[in-house]
Amino acid sequence: MPIRVLLDRVLLERRMSLTELADRVGVTIANLSILKTGKARAVRFSTLAALCRELDCQPGDLLYYEPGPADDLDEDEPG
Amino acid sequence: MVRALGPASVSSLLKIILDVVYAALWIGFVALGLMTLAALLLSLNPDLLADITLTAGGEEIRGRGPVVAGGLFAATLYTGGVLVIVDRLRRIFSTLTAGDPFHPDNVTRLRVVGLMLAMLEVGRYGVWAASAWLLPGSNEVEPNLSLTAWFSVLVVFVLAEVFREGARLRREAELTI
Repeated sequence: MPIRVLLDRVLLERRMSLTELADRVGVTIANLSILKTGKARAVRFSTLAALCRELDCQPGDLLYYEPGPADDLDEDEPG
Repeated sequence: MVRALGPASVSSLLKIILDVVYAALWIGFVALGLMTLAALLLSLNPDLLADITLTAGGEEIRGRGPVVAGGLFAATLYTGGVLVIVDRLRRIFSTLTAGDPFHPDNVTRLRVVGLMLAMLEVGRYGVWAASAWLLPGSNEVEPNLSLTAWFSVLVVFVLAEVFREGARLRREAELTI
């Protein structure tokens, strides 16, 4: 995935835990972990807005484009 | 309002029906297998089969043990094919009952159903050809190309692709935060 999520860096700068962010944003820790580890396929604007609101940042602070091949979702599927 | 998917829905009712049919098919499959084996063993001793009479197309067929065994074997294979189809349908309907129609495994299951339907149809022609060769005059009806059967095969394969797309979208939805 050429889009990298910099959530861990922003969390570190804000000295906020993933659990606390999950509580504030209303997203499960499991889903935030998927986002943090770069396994997410898409981010809803509503989620992005909530993240920016709670972390007091801009979308550009959380996302970073790195040229590279796009992942094929079919390859991720089991079986 | 009757629900189509999920627990206590039409899907769960169909799943129960398929379970019953599956059990009955297993019994039929085993019975036919045993009968095939018996016919094959008896055909080795024609004296034991002297009294067995089959009627086909108005002609009596006497003492054709291997042909009877072959016919039973074909019936066993046919039942086995139907068994595979019903088994895959059971598994598909269990996912529908669970409210998860786009389970990735359903794609393969539908493809197997389509493949088995095609094989059963081809097998039908094969049985007709074999019986016309072994029992001349017994097959007065030509095995016409069943458009319904081949249409069903194509529909099932297309549905498999629809489910593949559904499974892809499901996976994408799962990874959308």
